[in-house]
Amino acid sequence: MELIFSLLQQLSVYLVLAYLLSKTPLFMPLTMLSGRLSHRLACYIIFSLFCVLGTYFGLAIENAIANTRAIGAVMGGLLGGPVVGFAVGLTGGIHRYSMGGFTDVACAISTTSEGLLGGLVHLYYMRRGLVERIFNPFLALLVLLVAEVMQMSIILLVAEPYEQALALVKTIALPMIIANSLGAALFMSIIQDRKTIYEKYSASFSSKALTIAERTVGILSSGFNQENTQKVAQIIYEETGVGAVSITDRNKIMAFIGTGADHHLPGTLISSSHTKQAIENGELIFADGYEVAYQCSIKNSCKLGAALIIPLLGSEDQVLGTIKLYEPKQKLFSSMNLSLGEGLAKLLSNQILNSRYLEQQTLLTQAELRLLQAQVNPHFLFNALNTISAVIRQDPDKARQLIQHLSQFFRRNLKHNIESVTLQDELKHIHAYLEIELARFSDRLTVNFSIDETLLTQYVPTFTLQPLVENAIKHGTSTQLENGVIDVSGCLQNNIVILKVVDNAGTYCLGDNEMQQGLGLQIVDKRLKNSFGEQYGLSMSCEQGVTTSAQIKFPFKEELS
Amino acid sequence: MLKAIVIDDEQYARDELIALIAEQKEVEIEVIASCNNAIEGLKKVNQLKPDLIFLDIQMPQITGIEMLGMLDPETMPKVIFVTAFDEYALQAFEDNAFDYILKPVEPCRLRKTLQRVKYKMQQDNYQVLTDKPLSLIPCAGFNRYLLLKPSEIEIAYSDQSGVHIISQQADKSVAETSCSLSLKILEEKTELLRCHRQYLINPNMIREIRLLDNSLAEIVTAGGAVAPVSRRYLKMLKDRFQLH
Repeated sequence: MELIFSLLQQLSVYLVLAYLLSKTPLFMPLTMLSGRLSHRLACYIIFSLFCVLGTYFGLAIENAIANTRAIGAVMGGLLGGPVVGFAVGLTGGIHRYSMGGFTDVACAISTTSEGLLGGLVHLYYMRRGLVERIFNPFLALLVLLVAEVMQMSIILLVAEPYEQALALVKTIALPMIIANSLGAALFMSIIQDRKTIYEKYSASFSSKALTIAERTVGILSSGFNQENTQKVAQIIYEETGVGAVSITDRNKIMAFIGTGADHHLPGTLISSSHTKQAIENGELIFADGYEVAYQCSIKNSCKLGAALIIPLLGSEDQVLGTIKLYEPKQKLFSSMNLSLGEGLAKLLSNQILNSRYLEQQTLLTQAELRLLQAQVNPHFLFNALNTISAVIRQDPDKARQLIQHLSQFFRRNLKHNIESVTLQDELKHIHAYLEIELARFSDRLTVNFSIDETLLTQYVPTFTLQPLVENAIKHGTSTQLENGVIDVSGCLQNNIVILKVVDNAGTYCLGDNEMQQGLGLQIVDKRLKNSFGEQYGLSMSCEQGVTTSAQIKFPFKEELS
Repeated sequence: MLKAIVIDDEQYARDELIALIAEQKEVEIEVIASCNNAIEGLKKVNQLKPDLIFLDIQMPQITGIEMLGMLDPETMPKVIFVTAFDEYALQAFEDNAFDYILKPVEPCRLRKTLQRVKYKMQQDNYQVLTDKPLSLIPCAGFNRYLLLKPSEIEIAYSDQSGVHIISQQADKSVAETSCSLSLKILEEKTELLRCHRQYLINPNMIREIRLLDNSLAEIVTAGGAVAPVSRRYLKMLKDRFQLH
């Protein structure tokens, strides 16, 4: 009985050491089972130490040692697998053997097999996919129970003389079984606690970060301005629970939410030297109010006592602004918010960049479309008017029709905001345009149409086909001395609509590798790809002096009846 | 009475201009021909020697300005450019005070321009527009137009019936066509070299220079055509090819 207590006493010292160790980063690998070499090595070293420690803490009894060595071996096996378990057991065993006594061989063998036993249990649960079970203290208790019984049996079998061994086992069996099983269970529970804390911490960290990311997504996409940053700052303020949140651009405060909002006014210039420094050097500044002094630069009575200032970095590490987290004087910055701050800055930087990119894209498309519409104008318009004024003289009725066509054409061109039209509408537009061109080139231009009727209700981006016809005339048939012919055709092949504009001039031949197109055609191609996908769009082919062919492909859409 | 030719590739544009010219009474003008492209225009200008041409800029194959470069500056008629819209050309016209009218043509603007042309006696110098080398040489074959690249020409020569060009065809054989450009223009604006008062030769097509008696010579081209070399030009040829 006395032995039980003294063994438990030793065990407490042993566990205190384990507890202390659990506070260090050394312990981190033990809380997860990764099977990586570094993890296994850490397991081996730590548990070998505990194994040896268990021997030293043992109590010498009748030329043998009552000890807690088994805990190290079995835990090593449980957490590190059979190889680690065996190695830990062997290390502990050899160490024990070196200390001598009549049970030295028996102890060495039993410690090694205890390690192996732990490893086999580990393997069993891994194979079953029940990893969490390994961390159950109750399991550790059971395994140790079995291990100790096994050890006693080995001592009885191996140690000589048998009578002495039997006497020894009678004395130490119960205390050792109890102490070791309890110790292992407690040790495992320390590890399990550590694991839970760590997981909770990272879980709440990630969930915070994810919530902020989720709530702020898209807000800045309509621009990095006061209204939007105000919203983002509000969200960060709510989610992190810091004293105040501020977002600045390079010159002024864009948003400020929280303590001190009465005098930190959005729209005012940045006055804090810390912020200026952060913007100047693109570096993170943490003014904790202790190591690095912090004092609000606007009002002395300001309650804010610490600030974390993180620059928002754009492309090429250019500083776009800063995000600032504050805590009031009586409160400390939580380490979680410190690291969260950096992630937030990254997130916002990306959102700002993305918003600029989107903005430029939209501007570009709008500008391009305007350009496409403007491209039509001067030459065509004045020639058309000139033709009409000649026709008025000869055939006033025909002139009236031409004016109708011209106004129809321009009216359609002025409708900036229509994104897509039916093929039928696009063809009407082409007809209006062609009536004028046919009058101009009356003696040397023929245009043939053959469009599959089923395609007429298909939608195409505005200005898809007309620029191709215009191109065929402007750069094709109008450069021919006579007999210009343009064929416009449309058909359905394997559920793909194919529209072609073919002329007989063959003047659009460019170098083989540079498929460089005029701006107008590039826009047609881009708009088709935007609407239907990368594999569709416009392709040009040309046979010098014979023919130029422009082909458009896009998927056929079944009509909803 | 001024004789004029209207050159424009659009029928209605020609009709309109001719009608407007006829309508105005201040300057007496007779339109003696109208042409629907520059090649045809060149032929008519050489043939009919008008006092005045109305010249559209944008025309197939050879633009109005390119055509101007093919006319002999010494016998150049007065030119009135007609265009619907051509920023760059208009700028050039403005800068050099050339006469131009815009489509659709305003009758009073036409009248002013014609009055100016009538009283302006000295010839305009169109060199700013026309000093580029020629890229296509318009030739007339039997019932067809030919547009030759200067590099395809082997020999150009003149006789009583006009200027003729011997050129290499795609199959390496040679063919002869007549050309409405003068030898002088060809000499100035292409690589062709003069080897005789009536002959130009493409230096890249020379295969052989045969020296004859009396300091004369003849040139055999890649295509086998022969051009005479006169005493005066032989020395220049020798200098050029450093045959001393």
